[in-house]
Amino acid sequence: MKIRLINENGLRVDGRRPDEMRRMRMEVGVLEKTDGSAYVELGGTRIYAGVIGPREVHPKHLELPDKGVINCRYHMASFSVDERKPLGMTRREIELSKVIREALETVVFLEEFPRMMIDIFVEVIQADGGTRTAGITAASLALADAGIPMADMIAAIAVGKVDGVLVLDINEEEDKYGEADMPVAIAPHLNSIVLLQLNGRMTPEEVDKGLEMAQKAVQKIHQMQIEALKRKYRVEPEGLET
Amino acid sequence: MQYFSENELVVPGQILSDNPRQSGFGTYVREGKVYASVMGFAKSINGVLRIIPVSGRYRPQRGDKVLGIVSDVKPNAVEVDIGGETTAVIKPHERETTPLKIDIGDCVLAEVKATGLKGIVLATEGLQKIPSGILISVNAAKVPRIIGRKGSMLQVLRRETGCDFWVGRNGLIVVNGPDPAHEFAAVAAVNMIEREAHTSGLTERVIQMLRKMLGRGDEDSSN
Repeated sequence: MKIRLINENGLRVDGRRPDEMRRMRMEVGVLEKTDGSAYVELGGTRIYAGVIGPREVHPKHLELPDKGVINCRYHMASFSVDERKPLGMTRREIELSKVIREALETVVFLEEFPRMMIDIFVEVIQADGGTRTAGITAASLALADAGIPMADMIAAIAVGKVDGVLVLDINEEEDKYGEADMPVAIAPHLNSIVLLQLNGRMTPEEVDKGLEMAQKAVQKIHQMQIEALKRKYRVEPEGLET
Repeated sequence: MQYFSENELVVPGQILSDNPRQSGFGTYVREGKVYASVMGFAKSINGVLRIIPVSGRYRPQRGDKVLGIVSDVKPNAVEVDIGGETTAVIKPHERETTPLKIDIGDCVLAEVKATGLKGIVLATEGLQKIPSGILISVNAAKVPRIIGRKGSMLQVLRRETGCDFWVGRNGLIVVNGPDPAHEFAAVAAVNMIEREAHTSGLTERVIQMLRKMLGRGDEDSSN
């Protein structure tokens, strides 16, 4: 028997409409030993991101004389998935570390940090689909919290295709049994796509439609990012002049 | 045209102005418009837009007095960890007859002589070695509040606790007092200032807290 992911009312396995996102929660400045950090919850997905730096490059041979380097680590906890994930970096984690790093490199002003390195750690505590997009959203918040100059923030969301219907923000089941998964990361002010992957099959029209859906959702996520940042630094500076 | 209100908390990517000539610290220009590049409070000073960042590591500026811990002593330079983006160096003058009497682990107070691609250089003139005390670390953005206007807050701290203070612009502070009780009170006061830096009437509350902490078992004061 084939699993049905969309019921007769057009609702999805968790009762959402096709263009509905899961509940999202963000918090900034959650980790004390980092220079900037963020926590993002997207349905069952829970992610911490931490930023350390800019600091001296280690190992030294990665150093660049004219700009800084970003070191990104996307990592899933052993208990974050149904079947225990073995320790150490898997192929998938190495790939995601790379795509997240490349997405963030497009907005960070690396030329301001010659011979320096920014460490970004994305830790998945619980995985329920959309970890790379939530990870980018969290990492971008953590970078802003760390006071690192960047052209724009990044917000990301995945669009998928299940039972022939385009759906926003797919969860674990839809990812496993659906037809396609397309994570999109966008820098909203720059209006540029900084990450686009596609797993599965979609027609060109569906890709266009999916990008449009993602764009709308990204605007919402971006607003939440701004609110989360402002919540931490609500206070007005006073008496700062010597 | 300006797109923000004075002292507004802005986020990276937010548009600030149409005039690219107004771009100052914490902003950047793209397609003839000025945008914010860091999170902080936007200010327009003499027509130049600046952002006072709310977070980030300490960025040394020329003339800052900084406190640091000597991390390495090399034949021609001394490296000092000032808790910033990179370590600072002290380069003694060539043909110096008396070498600097500092060792790894020493705590020093010095002025920043130069910054830039060659790294952060500290001045040998006025270099001070701090003999002993408690080292505390605060957010560098809160240091001006700990010093106070023309050093008023520091004067209060010195008077009330009887401790010596060495304050580095990078957020490192050394407290040296007559006994541990006074030193701990001083540390508590500094932490309180850091926590409540943005509130008004802080000096008064610091005095009250210190008197309460030190009042017991200390001479006769009961106010």
